[in-house]
Amino acid sequence: MSVELTGRRGAVVRRTAPLVAALAALWILIWMLAGFHYFWPMWPMWAFAGIFALLIARGPLQQFFVAAVAFNVLWAMTGSHYYWAGWPMLGIGLALGAPRLITGRREQQLEERVDELSRTRRGALDVQATELRRIERDLHDGAQARLVALSMKLGRAEDRYAEQPEVSALLREAREDASAAIRELRELARGIAPPVLADRGLEAAVRSLADRTGMEVELHASLARRPTPAVEIAAYFVVAESLTNAAKHAANTRAEVRLDEHGGDLFVEVTDFGPGGADPSGSGLTGLRQRVEALDGQLQVTSPPGVGTQVEAVLPCGW
Amino acid sequence: MRVVIVEDHALLREGMVALLQEHDIEVVAQAEDGPGLLRIVQGHKPDLAICDVRLPPTFTDEGIRAALEARRRHPELAVLVLSQYVEPAYSAELLQEGEGGIGYLLKERVSEVRTFVEAVRRVAAGGTALDREVVSSLVSGRVQQGADGPSQAISALTARERETLELIAQGRTNAAIARELVVTLGAVEKHISNIFSKLDLPTTDDDHRRVLAVLTYLRATAA
Repeated sequence: MSVELTGRRGAVVRRTAPLVAALAALWILIWMLAGFHYFWPMWPMWAFAGIFALLIARGPLQQFFVAAVAFNVLWAMTGSHYYWAGWPMLGIGLALGAPRLITGRREQQLEERVDELSRTRRGALDVQATELRRIERDLHDGAQARLVALSMKLGRAEDRYAEQPEVSALLREAREDASAAIRELRELARGIAPPVLADRGLEAAVRSLADRTGMEVELHASLARRPTPAVEIAAYFVVAESLTNAAKHAANTRAEVRLDEHGGDLFVEVTDFGPGGADPSGSGLTGLRQRVEALDGQLQVTSPPGVGTQVEAVLPCGW
Repeated sequence: MRVVIVEDHALLREGMVALLQEHDIEVVAQAEDGPGLLRIVQGHKPDLAICDVRLPPTFTDEGIRAALEARRRHPELAVLVLSQYVEPAYSAELLQEGEGGIGYLLKERVSEVRTFVEAVRRVAAGGTALDREVVSSLVSGRVQQGADGPSQAISALTARERETLELIAQGRTNAAIARELVVTLGAVEKHISNIFSKLDLPTTDDDHRRVLAVLTYLRATAA
Protein backbone atom coordinates (compact mmCIF):
# COMPACT_ATOMS: atom_id res chain seq x y z
CA MET A 1 0.00 0.00 0.00
CA SER A 2 1.28 3.40 -0.88
CA VAL A 3 -0.52 6.58 0.07
CA GLU A 4 0.25 9.94 -1.52
CA LEU A 5 0.25 12.71 1.01
CA THR A 6 0.31 16.08 -0.64
CA GLY A 7 -1.00 19.57 -0.04
CA ARG A 8 -2.12 21.16 3.20
CA ARG A 9 -4.18 18.15 4.35
CA GLY A 10 -1.21 15.86 3.83
CA ALA A 11 0.93 18.17 5.91
CA VAL A 12 -1.56 18.06 8.80
CA VAL A 13 -1.69 14.24 8.72
CA ARG A 14 2.11 14.03 8.59
CA ARG A 15 2.41 16.36 11.54
CA THR A 16 -0.10 14.53 13.76
CA ALA A 17 0.83 10.97 12.69
CA PRO A 18 3.91 10.56 14.95
CA LEU A 19 1.90 11.75 17.93
CA VAL A 20 -0.90 9.28 17.27
CA ALA A 21 1.63 6.47 16.69
CA ALA A 22 3.30 7.33 20.00
CA LEU A 23 -0.05 7.30 21.86
CA ALA A 24 -0.86 3.94 20.25
CA ALA A 25 2.50 2.52 21.33
CA LEU A 26 1.87 3.79 24.87
CA TRP A 27 -1.55 2.15 24.79
CA ILE A 28 -0.02 -1.21 23.73
CA LEU A 29 2.46 -0.95 26.57
CA ILE A 30 -0.25 -0.28 29.18
CA TRP A 31 -2.39 -3.06 27.75
CA MET A 32 0.53 -5.52 27.89
CA LEU A 33 1.52 -4.51 31.41
CA ALA A 34 -2.13 -4.89 32.48
CA GLY A 35 -1.98 -8.55 31.38
CA PHE A 36 -3.52 -8.58 27.91
CA HIS A 37 -7.12 -8.67 29.10
CA TYR A 38 -9.92 -8.24 26.65
CA PHE A 39 -10.88 -4.60 26.38
CA TRP A 40 -13.24 -3.43 23.58
CA PRO A 41 -11.76 0.05 22.69
CA MET A 42 -8.54 -1.61 21.63
CA TRP A 43 -10.07 -2.41 18.21
CA PRO A 44 -10.66 1.22 17.14
CA MET A 45 -7.30 2.08 18.72
CA TRP A 46 -5.60 -0.55 16.56
CA ALA A 47 -7.39 0.68 13.49
CA PHE A 48 -6.17 4.24 14.11
CA ALA A 49 -2.66 3.10 14.87
CA GLY A 50 -2.56 0.94 11.73
CA ILE A 51 -3.85 3.64 9.41
CA PHE A 52 -1.47 6.28 10.73
CA ALA A 53 1.44 3.85 10.67
CA LEU A 54 0.72 3.15 6.98
CA LEU A 55 0.36 6.86 6.25
CA ILE A 56 3.68 7.79 7.80
CA ALA A 57 5.57 4.81 6.38
CA ARG A 58 7.95 5.82 3.63
CA GLY A 59 9.19 3.25 1.12
CA PRO A 60 8.50 -0.50 0.84
CA LEU A 61 10.86 -1.53 3.70
CA GLN A 62 9.07 0.55 6.31
CA GLN A 63 5.69 -0.50 4.95
CA PHE A 64 6.73 -4.15 5.22
CA PHE A 65 7.72 -3.70 8.86
CA VAL A 66 4.53 -1.88 9.68
CA ALA A 67 2.45 -4.59 7.99
CA ALA A 68 4.40 -7.34 9.80
CA VAL A 69 3.93 -5.65 13.16
CA ALA A 70 0.21 -5.19 12.53
CA PHE A 71 -0.13 -8.86 11.51
CA ASN A 72 1.70 -10.15 14.60
CA VAL A 73 -0.28 -7.93 16.90
CA LEU A 74 -3.57 -9.17 15.45
CA TRP A 75 -2.44 -12.78 15.79
CA ALA A 76 -1.47 -12.20 19.41
CA MET A 77 -4.71 -10.46 20.21
CA THR A 78 -6.97 -13.17 18.77
CA GLY A 79 -5.43 -15.57 21.34
CA SER A 80 -5.99 -13.03 24.12
CA HIS A 81 -3.26 -14.61 26.24
CA TYR A 82 0.41 -14.09 26.80
CA TYR A 83 2.35 -14.07 23.58
CA TRP A 84 6.15 -13.93 23.59
CA ALA A 85 6.42 -11.90 20.36
CA GLY A 86 4.68 -8.94 22.02
CA TRP A 87 7.88 -7.46 23.44
CA PRO A 88 10.04 -7.66 20.27
CA MET A 89 7.11 -6.27 18.34
CA LEU A 90 6.90 -3.32 20.68
CA GLY A 91 10.65 -2.85 20.22
CA ILE A 92 10.38 -2.85 16.46
CA GLY A 93 7.42 -0.46 16.64
CA LEU A 94 9.36 1.96 18.82
CA ALA A 95 12.51 1.60 16.69
CA LEU A 96 10.48 2.55 13.64
CA GLY A 97 8.34 5.15 15.38
CA ALA A 98 11.01 7.04 17.32
CA PRO A 99 13.02 8.25 14.27
CA ARG A 100 9.74 9.22 12.68
CA LEU A 101 8.90 11.26 15.75
CA ILE A 102 12.19 13.12 15.38
CA THR A 103 12.16 13.47 11.57
CA GLY A 104 8.46 14.34 11.76
CA ARG A 105 9.28 17.26 13.96
CA ARG A 106 12.16 18.29 11.72
CA GLU A 107 9.91 18.03 8.70
CA GLN A 108 7.33 20.11 10.45
CA GLN A 109 9.95 22.74 11.25
CA LEU A 110 11.14 22.71 7.65
CA GLU A 111 7.61 23.09 6.37
CA GLU A 112 6.99 26.01 8.67
CA ARG A 113 10.27 27.52 7.52
CA VAL A 114 9.34 27.09 3.85
CA ASP A 115 5.92 28.64 4.50
CA GLU A 116 7.53 31.55 6.29
CA LEU A 117 10.19 32.06 3.61
CA SER A 118 7.62 31.96 0.78
CA ARG A 119 5.49 34.48 2.63
CA THR A 120 8.36 36.85 3.41
CA ARG A 121 9.84 36.57 -0.08
CA ARG A 122 6.48 37.43 -1.57
CA GLY A 123 6.18 40.31 0.85
CA ALA A 124 9.67 41.50 -0.08
CA LEU A 125 8.81 41.38 -3.80
CA ASP A 126 5.57 43.28 -3.21
CA VAL A 127 7.45 45.88 -1.19
CA GLN A 128 10.06 46.10 -3.95
CA ALA A 129 7.41 46.58 -6.64
CA THR A 130 5.65 49.24 -4.57
CA GLU A 131 8.99 50.96 -3.93
CA LEU A 132 9.81 50.95 -7.64
CA ARG A 133 6.46 52.58 -8.34
CA ARG A 134 7.21 55.18 -5.70
CA ILE A 135 10.60 55.87 -7.29
CA GLU A 136 8.94 56.18 -10.68
CA ARG A 137 6.44 58.66 -9.21
CA ASP A 138 9.18 60.60 -7.42
CA LEU A 139 11.11 60.87 -10.68
CA HIS A 140 7.99 62.19 -12.32
CA ASP A 141 7.16 64.68 -9.59
CA GLY A 142 10.70 65.65 -8.68
CA ALA A 143 13.58 65.56 -11.14
CA GLN A 144 11.45 65.35 -14.30
CA ALA A 145 9.17 68.22 -13.31
CA ARG A 146 12.17 70.39 -12.41
CA LEU A 147 13.85 69.62 -15.71
CA VAL A 148 10.67 70.53 -17.58
CA ALA A 149 10.50 73.81 -15.64
CA LEU A 150 14.18 74.42 -16.47
CA SER A 151 13.76 73.69 -20.17
CA MET A 152 10.68 75.93 -20.21
CA LYS A 153 12.72 78.82 -18.80
CA LEU A 154 15.51 78.15 -21.30
CA GLY A 155 12.91 78.12 -24.07
CA ARG A 156 11.53 81.47 -22.94
CA ALA A 157 15.05 82.94 -22.80
CA GLU A 158 15.79 81.56 -26.28
CA ASP A 159 12.60 83.17 -27.52
CA ARG A 160 13.49 86.51 -25.94
CA TYR A 161 17.04 86.54 -27.35
CA ALA A 162 15.98 85.48 -30.85
CA GLU A 163 17.63 88.62 -32.22
CA GLN A 164 21.04 87.56 -30.88
CA PRO A 165 21.90 84.35 -32.77
CA GLU A 166 24.92 83.46 -30.63
CA VAL A 167 23.03 83.70 -27.36
CA SER A 168 19.94 82.01 -28.69
CA ALA A 169 21.99 79.14 -30.20
CA LEU A 170 23.60 78.54 -26.81
CA LEU A 171 20.23 78.63 -25.11
CA ARG A 172 18.79 76.23 -27.67
CA GLU A 173 21.62 73.78 -27.00
CA ALA A 174 21.01 74.02 -23.27
CA ARG A 175 17.28 73.44 -23.81
CA GLU A 176 18.00 70.42 -26.02
CA ASP A 177 20.30 68.99 -23.34
CA ALA A 178 17.52 69.38 -20.79
CA SER A 179 15.10 67.67 -23.19
CA ALA A 180 17.54 64.78 -23.66
CA ALA A 181 17.75 64.37 -19.86
CA ILE A 182 13.94 64.37 -19.64
CA ARG A 183 13.78 61.69 -22.35
CA GLU A 184 16.33 59.54 -20.54
CA LEU A 185 14.41 59.81 -17.28
CA ARG A 186 11.22 58.88 -19.10
CA GLU A 187 12.83 55.77 -20.59
CA LEU A 188 14.17 54.86 -17.15
CA ALA A 189 10.71 55.20 -15.61
CA ARG A 190 9.16 53.17 -18.41
CA GLY A 191 11.74 50.40 -17.87
CA ILE A 192 10.65 50.12 -14.23
CA ALA A 193 7.01 49.81 -15.21
CA PRO A 194 5.02 51.66 -17.85
CA PRO A 195 2.79 54.37 -16.31
CA VAL A 196 -0.30 52.97 -18.01
CA LEU A 197 0.16 49.73 -16.01
CA ALA A 198 -0.06 51.57 -12.70
CA ASP A 199 -2.81 53.87 -13.99
CA ARG A 200 -5.14 51.46 -15.73
CA GLY A 201 -4.00 47.93 -14.95
CA LEU A 202 -2.74 44.94 -16.88
CA GLU A 203 -5.35 44.77 -19.62
CA ALA A 204 -4.91 48.42 -20.68
CA ALA A 205 -1.11 48.11 -20.51
CA VAL A 206 -1.15 44.98 -22.69
CA ARG A 207 -3.49 46.68 -25.15
CA SER A 208 -1.08 49.60 -25.36
CA LEU A 209 1.80 47.17 -25.95
CA ALA A 210 -0.15 45.50 -28.72
CA ASP A 211 -0.72 48.89 -30.38
CA ARG A 212 2.98 49.67 -30.25
CA THR A 213 4.34 46.40 -31.64
CA GLY A 214 2.63 46.93 -34.95
CA MET A 215 1.66 43.26 -35.13
CA GLU A 216 -1.92 42.15 -35.31
CA VAL A 217 -2.60 41.14 -31.71
CA GLU A 218 -5.80 39.55 -30.48
CA LEU A 219 -6.33 40.12 -26.77
CA HIS A 220 -8.64 37.99 -24.63
CA ALA A 221 -8.73 39.26 -21.07
CA SER A 222 -11.07 38.28 -18.27
CA LEU A 223 -9.68 39.71 -15.06
CA ALA A 224 -12.15 40.87 -12.47
CA ARG A 225 -9.50 41.92 -9.94
CA ARG A 226 -6.11 43.56 -10.01
CA PRO A 227 -3.18 41.40 -8.86
CA THR A 228 -0.47 42.81 -6.58
CA PRO A 229 2.03 45.18 -8.27
CA ALA A 230 4.76 42.48 -8.29
CA VAL A 231 2.51 39.98 -10.13
CA GLU A 232 1.17 42.68 -12.45
CA ILE A 233 4.66 43.80 -13.46
CA ALA A 234 5.86 40.21 -14.01
CA ALA A 235 2.80 39.43 -16.16
CA TYR A 236 3.34 42.64 -18.13
CA PHE A 237 6.95 41.79 -18.90
CA VAL A 238 6.00 38.23 -19.95
CA VAL A 239 3.70 39.72 -22.58
CA ALA A 240 6.13 42.51 -23.53
CA GLU A 241 9.11 40.17 -24.02
CA SER A 242 7.06 37.58 -25.91
CA LEU A 243 5.53 40.13 -28.28
CA THR A 244 8.91 41.80 -28.84
CA ASN A 245 10.42 38.41 -29.71
CA ALA A 246 7.55 37.63 -32.05
CA ALA A 247 7.83 41.00 -33.81
CA LYS A 248 11.61 40.63 -34.08
CA HIS A 249 11.53 37.24 -35.76
CA ALA A 250 8.43 37.68 -37.89
CA ALA A 251 7.09 41.21 -38.31
CA ASN A 252 4.13 40.08 -40.36
CA THR A 253 2.93 37.47 -37.93
CA ARG A 254 -0.21 37.47 -35.84
CA ALA A 255 -0.30 36.94 -32.10
CA GLU A 256 -2.82 36.09 -29.42
CA VAL A 257 -2.64 37.13 -25.78
CA ARG A 258 -4.79 35.57 -23.08
CA LEU A 259 -5.12 36.81 -19.51
CA ASP A 260 -7.26 34.62 -17.25
CA GLU A 261 -7.64 33.98 -13.56
CA HIS A 262 -8.42 30.55 -12.28
CA GLY A 263 -8.17 29.02 -8.82
CA GLY A 264 -6.22 31.94 -7.33
CA ASP A 265 -3.68 31.98 -10.17
CA LEU A 266 -3.15 34.41 -13.01
CA PHE A 267 -2.63 32.72 -16.39
CA VAL A 268 -0.76 34.60 -19.07
CA GLU A 269 -0.52 33.02 -22.50
CA VAL A 270 1.12 34.59 -25.54
CA THR A 271 0.93 32.67 -28.81
CA ASP A 272 2.41 33.80 -32.09
CA PHE A 273 2.25 32.14 -35.47
CA GLY A 274 5.81 33.01 -36.47
CA PRO A 275 8.71 30.73 -37.38
CA GLY A 276 9.00 29.06 -33.92
CA GLY A 277 12.27 27.48 -32.83
CA ALA A 278 12.79 29.93 -29.97
CA ASP A 279 15.61 29.07 -27.56
CA PRO A 280 14.11 28.78 -24.05
CA SER A 281 17.60 29.31 -22.56
CA GLY A 282 18.07 32.64 -24.36
CA SER A 283 18.70 35.64 -22.13
CA GLY A 284 15.25 37.19 -22.61
CA LEU A 285 13.30 34.05 -21.75
CA THR A 286 15.68 33.18 -18.89
CA GLY A 287 15.09 36.62 -17.41
CA LEU A 288 11.34 36.09 -17.65
CA ARG A 289 11.62 32.66 -16.03
CA GLN A 290 13.53 34.16 -13.10
CA ARG A 291 10.96 36.92 -12.72
CA VAL A 292 8.08 34.41 -12.74
CA GLU A 293 9.76 31.80 -10.51
CA ALA A 294 10.62 34.44 -7.91
CA LEU A 295 6.85 34.74 -7.45
CA ASP A 296 6.46 30.94 -7.16
CA GLY A 297 5.08 30.89 -10.67
CA GLN A 298 5.91 28.73 -13.66
CA LEU A 299 6.92 29.63 -17.18
CA GLN A 300 6.66 27.27 -20.09
CA VAL A 301 7.86 27.88 -23.63
CA THR A 302 6.81 25.69 -26.54
CA SER A 303 8.27 26.65 -29.87
CA PRO A 304 8.16 23.94 -32.54
CA PRO A 305 9.94 25.20 -35.72
CA GLY A 306 7.52 26.19 -38.44
CA VAL A 307 4.50 26.30 -36.12
CA GLY A 308 4.99 29.28 -33.82
CA THR A 309 5.82 30.06 -30.23
CA GLN A 310 3.71 29.79 -27.13
CA VAL A 311 4.78 31.29 -23.82
CA GLU A 312 2.65 30.37 -20.82
CA ALA A 313 3.08 31.77 -17.34
CA VAL A 314 1.13 30.81 -14.22
CA LEU A 315 1.44 33.30 -11.38
CA PRO A 316 -0.07 32.58 -7.95
CA CYS A 317 -1.97 35.65 -6.76
CA GLY A 318 -3.19 34.51 -3.37
CA TRP A 319 -6.72 35.61 -4.26
CA MET B 1 -8.14 84.05 -26.17
CA ARG B 2 -9.06 82.91 -22.66
CA VAL B 3 -7.14 79.97 -21.25
CA VAL B 4 -7.27 78.00 -17.99
CA ILE B 5 -4.36 75.89 -16.72
CA VAL B 6 -4.60 72.77 -14.55
CA GLU B 7 -1.23 71.65 -13.19
CA ASP B 8 -0.33 70.55 -9.68
CA HIS B 9 3.30 71.72 -9.88
CA ALA B 10 3.43 75.39 -8.92
CA LEU B 11 6.77 75.78 -10.71
CA LEU B 12 5.41 74.49 -14.01
CA ARG B 13 2.09 76.28 -13.64
CA GLU B 14 3.73 79.65 -13.05
CA GLY B 15 6.20 79.08 -15.89
CA MET B 16 3.41 78.28 -18.29
CA VAL B 17 1.33 81.30 -17.22
CA ALA B 18 4.34 83.60 -17.76
CA LEU B 19 5.13 82.02 -21.13
CA LEU B 20 1.58 82.37 -22.42
CA GLN B 21 1.29 85.95 -21.18
CA GLU B 22 4.51 86.83 -23.02
CA HIS B 23 2.59 85.85 -26.16
CA ASP B 24 -0.55 87.77 -25.26
CA ILE B 25 -2.56 84.74 -24.24
CA GLU B 26 -4.63 85.46 -21.16
CA VAL B 27 -4.69 82.84 -18.40
CA VAL B 28 -7.99 83.52 -16.62
CA ALA B 29 -7.82 80.82 -13.95
CA GLN B 30 -5.64 78.01 -12.59
CA ALA B 31 -6.43 74.79 -10.77
CA GLU B 32 -4.51 71.89 -9.28
CA ASP B 33 -6.75 68.86 -9.76
CA GLY B 34 -9.54 67.30 -11.83
CA PRO B 35 -12.52 68.71 -9.90
CA GLY B 36 -10.74 72.10 -10.03
CA LEU B 37 -10.70 71.89 -13.83
CA LEU B 38 -14.46 71.31 -13.98
CA ARG B 39 -15.03 74.15 -11.52
CA ILE B 40 -12.98 76.79 -13.35
CA VAL B 41 -14.34 75.75 -16.74
CA GLN B 42 -17.85 76.17 -15.36
CA GLY B 43 -16.96 79.49 -13.74
CA HIS B 44 -14.80 81.17 -16.39
CA LYS B 45 -16.07 79.76 -19.70
CA PRO B 46 -12.57 79.68 -21.25
CA ASP B 47 -11.80 78.93 -24.92
CA LEU B 48 -9.09 76.44 -24.02
CA ALA B 49 -8.15 74.28 -21.03
CA ILE B 50 -4.51 73.17 -20.77
CA CYS B 51 -4.21 70.27 -18.36
CA ASP B 52 -1.70 67.77 -17.01
CA VAL B 53 -2.50 64.04 -17.14
CA ARG B 54 -1.30 63.08 -13.66
CA LEU B 55 -3.09 65.09 -11.01
CA PRO B 56 -3.89 64.66 -7.32
CA PRO B 57 -5.23 62.74 -5.52
CA THR B 58 -4.36 59.47 -7.28
CA PHE B 59 -1.68 60.78 -9.70
CA THR B 60 -2.76 58.41 -12.44
CA ASP B 61 -4.84 59.56 -15.41
CA GLU B 62 -7.36 61.93 -13.83
CA GLY B 63 -6.24 64.75 -16.13
CA ILE B 64 -7.51 62.79 -19.15
CA ARG B 65 -10.72 61.85 -17.40
CA ALA B 66 -11.37 65.41 -16.21
CA ALA B 67 -10.61 66.81 -19.67
CA LEU B 68 -13.04 64.35 -21.29
CA GLU B 69 -15.70 65.17 -18.71
CA ALA B 70 -15.22 68.94 -19.19
CA ARG B 71 -15.50 68.45 -22.92
CA ARG B 72 -18.71 66.44 -22.52
CA ARG B 73 -20.24 69.20 -20.38
CA HIS B 74 -18.95 72.02 -22.61
CA PRO B 75 -18.57 70.71 -26.17
CA GLU B 76 -17.28 74.10 -27.36
CA LEU B 77 -14.27 73.90 -25.00
CA ALA B 78 -10.92 73.14 -26.64
CA VAL B 79 -8.65 70.86 -24.60
CA LEU B 80 -4.87 70.56 -24.68
CA VAL B 81 -3.55 67.72 -22.56
CA LEU B 82 0.11 67.72 -21.50
CA SER B 83 1.87 64.62 -20.27
CA GLN B 84 5.34 63.48 -19.27
CA TYR B 85 4.88 60.32 -21.32
CA VAL B 86 2.89 59.52 -24.42
CA GLU B 87 0.25 56.86 -24.30
CA PRO B 88 -1.41 56.17 -27.66
CA ALA B 89 -4.49 54.83 -25.84
CA TYR B 90 -5.05 58.24 -24.21
CA SER B 91 -4.71 60.07 -27.50
CA ALA B 92 -7.26 57.71 -29.05
CA GLU B 93 -9.68 58.48 -26.18
CA LEU B 94 -9.24 62.20 -26.67
CA LEU B 95 -9.67 61.97 -30.42
CA GLN B 96 -12.86 59.98 -30.01
CA GLU B 97 -14.29 62.93 -28.11
CA GLY B 98 -15.25 64.73 -31.30
CA GLU B 99 -13.59 66.54 -34.15
CA GLY B 100 -11.00 69.24 -33.55
CA GLY B 101 -10.17 71.41 -30.58
CA ILE B 102 -8.03 68.59 -29.17
CA GLY B 103 -4.34 68.48 -28.36
CA TYR B 104 -2.08 65.92 -26.72
CA LEU B 105 1.56 66.90 -26.28
CA LEU B 106 4.57 65.84 -24.26
CA LYS B 107 5.14 68.34 -21.47
CA GLU B 108 8.65 69.27 -22.55
CA ARG B 109 7.27 70.58 -25.86
CA VAL B 110 6.32 73.68 -23.87
CA SER B 111 9.99 74.62 -24.02
CA GLU B 112 9.88 74.85 -27.82
CA VAL B 113 8.09 78.09 -27.18
CA ARG B 114 7.02 79.19 -30.65
CA THR B 115 5.87 75.73 -31.74
CA PHE B 116 3.99 75.37 -28.46
CA VAL B 117 2.26 78.75 -28.73
CA GLU B 118 1.36 77.89 -32.32
CA ALA B 119 -0.16 74.60 -31.09
CA VAL B 120 -2.10 76.42 -28.33
CA ARG B 121 -3.59 78.85 -30.86
CA ARG B 122 -4.37 76.08 -33.32
CA VAL B 123 -6.17 73.92 -30.75
CA ALA B 124 -8.10 76.91 -29.36
CA ALA B 125 -9.22 77.68 -32.92
CA GLY B 126 -10.65 74.16 -33.28
CA GLY B 127 -7.58 72.50 -34.78
CA THR B 128 -5.56 69.52 -33.59
CA ALA B 129 -2.11 69.12 -32.07
CA LEU B 130 -0.80 65.61 -31.59
CA ASP B 131 2.67 65.01 -30.25
CA ARG B 132 5.08 63.72 -32.88
CA GLU B 133 5.86 60.73 -30.67
CA VAL B 134 2.20 59.69 -30.56
CA VAL B 135 1.91 60.08 -34.30
CA SER B 136 5.12 58.24 -35.10
CA SER B 137 4.24 55.34 -32.78
CA LEU B 138 0.82 55.05 -34.44
CA VAL B 139 2.20 55.41 -37.95
CA SER B 140 5.14 53.02 -37.42
CA GLY B 141 2.69 50.53 -35.93
CA ARG B 142 0.66 50.70 -39.12
CA VAL B 143 3.77 50.41 -41.28
CA GLN B 144 5.02 47.30 -39.52
CA GLN B 145 1.64 45.63 -39.82
CA GLY B 146 1.94 45.60 -43.59
CA ALA B 147 -0.78 42.95 -43.91
CA ASP B 148 -3.62 44.20 -46.07
CA GLY B 149 -5.95 47.18 -46.24
CA PRO B 150 -4.92 50.72 -45.30
CA SER B 151 -1.69 49.60 -43.61
CA GLN B 152 -0.39 48.34 -46.93
CA ALA B 153 -1.10 51.74 -48.41
CA ILE B 154 0.91 53.37 -45.62
CA SER B 155 3.86 51.08 -46.24
CA ALA B 156 3.81 52.23 -49.87
CA LEU B 157 4.84 55.71 -48.70
CA THR B 158 8.45 56.82 -49.05
CA ALA B 159 10.36 57.81 -45.92
CA ARG B 160 9.97 61.51 -46.79
CA GLU B 161 6.24 61.12 -47.40
CA ARG B 162 5.88 59.33 -44.07
CA GLU B 163 7.67 62.19 -42.29
CA THR B 164 5.36 64.61 -44.01
CA LEU B 165 2.31 62.57 -42.99
CA GLU B 166 3.50 62.57 -39.37
CA LEU B 167 3.81 66.35 -39.46
CA ILE B 168 0.39 66.74 -41.06
CA ALA B 169 -1.08 64.50 -38.39
CA GLN B 170 0.51 66.71 -35.75
CA GLY B 171 -1.53 69.51 -37.23
CA ARG B 172 1.30 71.47 -38.87
CA THR B 173 0.75 73.83 -41.78
CA ASN B 174 2.54 73.34 -45.10
CA ALA B 175 4.88 76.25 -44.32
CA ALA B 176 5.74 74.72 -40.92
CA ILE B 177 6.35 71.33 -42.54
CA ALA B 178 8.64 72.91 -45.17
CA ARG B 179 10.61 74.61 -42.37
CA GLU B 180 10.86 71.41 -40.34
CA LEU B 181 12.00 69.24 -43.26
CA VAL B 182 14.13 72.04 -44.75
CA VAL B 183 12.52 71.75 -48.19
CA THR B 184 10.56 74.13 -50.40
CA LEU B 185 6.85 74.67 -50.06
CA GLY B 186 6.41 73.17 -53.52
CA ALA B 187 8.16 69.96 -52.45
CA VAL B 188 5.84 69.65 -49.42
CA GLU B 189 2.78 70.11 -51.62
CA LYS B 190 4.04 67.40 -53.94
CA HIS B 191 4.62 64.99 -51.01
CA ILE B 192 1.14 65.71 -49.72
CA SER B 193 -0.56 65.09 -53.03
CA ASN B 194 1.40 61.80 -53.32
CA ILE B 195 0.32 60.78 -49.80
CA PHE B 196 -3.32 61.44 -50.53
CA SER B 197 -3.30 59.58 -53.79
CA LYS B 198 -1.50 56.59 -52.19
CA LEU B 199 -3.86 56.61 -49.19
CA ASP B 200 -6.85 57.17 -51.43
CA LEU B 201 -7.94 60.24 -49.44
CA PRO B 202 -9.80 63.16 -51.00
CA THR B 203 -7.37 65.98 -51.80
CA THR B 204 -8.40 69.44 -50.70
CA ASP B 205 -6.69 72.75 -50.06
CA ASP B 206 -8.41 73.13 -46.75
CA ASP B 207 -5.78 72.51 -44.02
CA HIS B 208 -8.32 71.70 -41.40
CA ARG B 209 -10.21 69.11 -43.39
CA ARG B 210 -6.94 67.63 -44.55
CA VAL B 211 -5.73 67.13 -40.97
CA LEU B 212 -9.04 65.61 -40.03
CA ALA B 213 -8.81 63.19 -42.93
CA VAL B 214 -5.42 61.98 -41.71
CA LEU B 215 -6.61 61.79 -38.11
CA THR B 216 -9.72 59.89 -39.11
CA TYR B 217 -7.48 57.47 -40.90
CA LEU B 218 -5.13 57.08 -37.92
CA ARG B 219 -8.04 56.72 -35.53
CA ALA B 220 -9.77 54.11 -37.67
CA THR B 221 -6.67 51.95 -37.86
CA ALA B 222 -5.64 52.52 -34.22
CA ALA B 223 -8.92 51.18 -32.82
